Amino acid sequence: MSFRRSIAVGSGRLGAWTLKNVFHRNASTLPGRIALSVDSRVLDELGSRPSKGNIVVCGTNGKTTTTNLLAHAVQDSGQRVACNWAGANMATGVTTALLPSTPVEWGVFENDELSTIHIVPHVKPQTLLLLNLFRDQLDRCGEIDHVQDVIVQALSASPATTLLYDADDPLCAGIAVKIKKAGGKVLSFGIGEDLNLPQERVRGGAFCQECGAPLTYTYHHYGQLGDFSCPSCGFERGELDYVARNVRVGIDGVSFDVVTRDGSCMGRIHAPWGGVYMVYNLLGAFVAALGAGVDLKQFQKTVDAYDPKNGRLQRFSVKGRHVTLNLAKNPTGFNQNLGLLMSDPAPKAIYIVINDNANDGTDVSWLWDVDFERLGDLTDKVVYVGGLRANDMQVRLKYAGIDAQIAGDVAEFLSKTQGLPGDWNAWALTNYSALWPVKADLEKLGDVQ
Amino acid sequence: MSRKLRIAHLFPELLNLYGDGGNIITLQRRCEWRGIECEVVPVHFGHRPDFSGIDIAFIGGGSDREQRIVCNELLAVGAELRSYVNDGGVLLAVCGGYQLLGHSYAMGEETLKGLSLVDMYTDRGTPRLIGNIMIQTELFDMPVVGYENHGGRTHLADGVEPLGRVVHGHGNDGASGYEGCRWNNVVGTYIHGPLLPKNPELADWLLARALERQGASCDLARLDDSQERAANAVMVSRMEAGEA
Repeated sequence: MSFRRSIAVGSGRLGAWTLKNVFHRNASTLPGRIALSVDSRVLDELGSRPSKGNIVVCGTNGKTTTTNLLAHAVQDSGQRVACNWAGANMATGVTTALLPSTPVEWGVFENDELSTIHIVPHVKPQTLLLLNLFRDQLDRCGEIDHVQDVIVQALSASPATTLLYDADDPLCAGIAVKIKKAGGKVLSFGIGEDLNLPQERVRGGAFCQECGAPLTYTYHHYGQLGDFSCPSCGFERGELDYVARNVRVGIDGVSFDVVTRDGSCMGRIHAPWGGVYMVYNLLGAFVAALGAGVDLKQFQKTVDAYDPKNGRLQRFSVKGRHVTLNLAKNPTGFNQNLGLLMSDPAPKAIYIVINDNANDGTDVSWLWDVDFERLGDLTDKVVYVGGLRANDMQVRLKYAGIDAQIAGDVAEFLSKTQGLPGDWNAWALTNYSALWPVKADLEKLGDVQ
Repeated sequence: MSRKLRIAHLFPELLNLYGDGGNIITLQRRCEWRGIECEVVPVHFGHRPDFSGIDIAFIGGGSDREQRIVCNELLAVGAELRSYVNDGGVLLAVCGGYQLLGHSYAMGEETLKGLSLVDMYTDRGTPRLIGNIMIQTELFDMPVVGYENHGGRTHLADGVEPLGRVVHGHGNDGASGYEGCRWNNVVGTYIHGPLLPKNPELADWLLARALERQGASCDLARLDDSQERAANAVMVSRMEAGEA
């Protein structure tokens, strides 16, 4: 290690020690920022600390859940893991996670899509798991074409990395085509059957990544995901290396068989969380875990024990009322969440909280890409809105034919709806920066289930 | 006499960046609430629409890649669109769609040919102009608010009126103090996505112009716009306070 690099690591560690022992804080980015400011290439050194390798997870939706599942699975198999558990997903967060001097076998890191270029070339992961690319926070991320270019560049600078990607997503498949052409390694996964899901009103990105023609679908799951092909140039999903088959999706969870390219079934994975997106998250995490020596039985054990309490589909009980909290930060995620909410047969009080802080994206135009119109099908419902953009949300619902009132916080929402019969369930859907205050309030007001 | 409007949504599958569809929903509902029949005609990729039965046309925004794809499609209907707007046809174009109204859009090395419906052109600048925006138009008292996000700088020729004066934000080129364009019954603006929901007066202005062109009564029954106005006012005060 060069002198400068030792100083960088040393000052980062000192920063972490000071924060922990003097200020009693467990900072997730500051120690990394200190180390990077001393030596901007400190990750080259730190990235080789995990003795067996690194795995990077990126994609618009599902990063935090997938990374945590994967890291737990590797850990539960008896290997030590460095991970940016809390989702600090830029270079500073990854550097912070790698600073401690304790030996580790694996590094498992969530990466912000645009940060891959600052991380992947340095930590040179064994696998980059690419979950999906949806339009999200355009003002922060830039257009999706740019996001794709950045990921291709990051992978080109780490040629030994295998790209493990959701092949049902043409935007991920477009990246894989470029990597394959450049001689890189790719592994694909996807859902190998029609789930007969209700189709959404707005769909994005369903155009050929190679020639621009509209794609056709044998079947379509949600967003731009499905079994696609281009009628004009032959760009297509193609054969999958790992396929989810016999997929069951319900409000009580998902289950599916993992089938390999040669047709053999490795076993069945099941999880108590609903949503088709969980099939992708679980399948992606499992295949990445395979590469770190975790078998399906071990992976299932980890899933069974996993309870992140991170506001993603977290359930509470407040004065006898069942409350479900979920994160919904972009149209695709929101449509999925509305689907879950609609599958709850009980009458519902719904609270939608929308902020426009920097980490949410200051542009809330996407609210009009969410199919709120489908809430009109619910007969027994009351709807409240909150957050910095409560008024925008109220107008959005008005034009979807839904009358909504404003409630300043989740306590006000629950008090305004407390007169409803006990068999009504409450649902709180929030975007990113609104999640933590609502979660904290619910933890204070009631019992976590 | 029963009134009916037909709205053409051009290439909804391509030019649909960030909630553009909110504009169509808004026009539709505001007709329905007044008993004006309203039909939305999506013009899909490869279709050649007949503008003779159209009262309002809408062009949304797309990513640069999508805009390249759609540009040829739009040019193929360019002559029809031109005679439609010359005949007083109402056209709303936002963001990428706005840029294509002009003669050309220079994107770095490449220059896209535009529709030449409005005497203006666009070139590229840095940085991208991003953020909440408020403009004052001459059409009504309430400011028009929304969000802009564009690398393009649009330059209007003499005689082309802007949609309004920038009160907060960047506008056409970040320098002139003007935003958008208004020519005949064509409105173009960088205010992307759901422009109309929070600006009900602009939505009604478009409806009134379309009815007027039909020779129908352009009297529009007053609606309860308190929620729309509140949403507009919240953003006005946040921008004035420097909090958005």
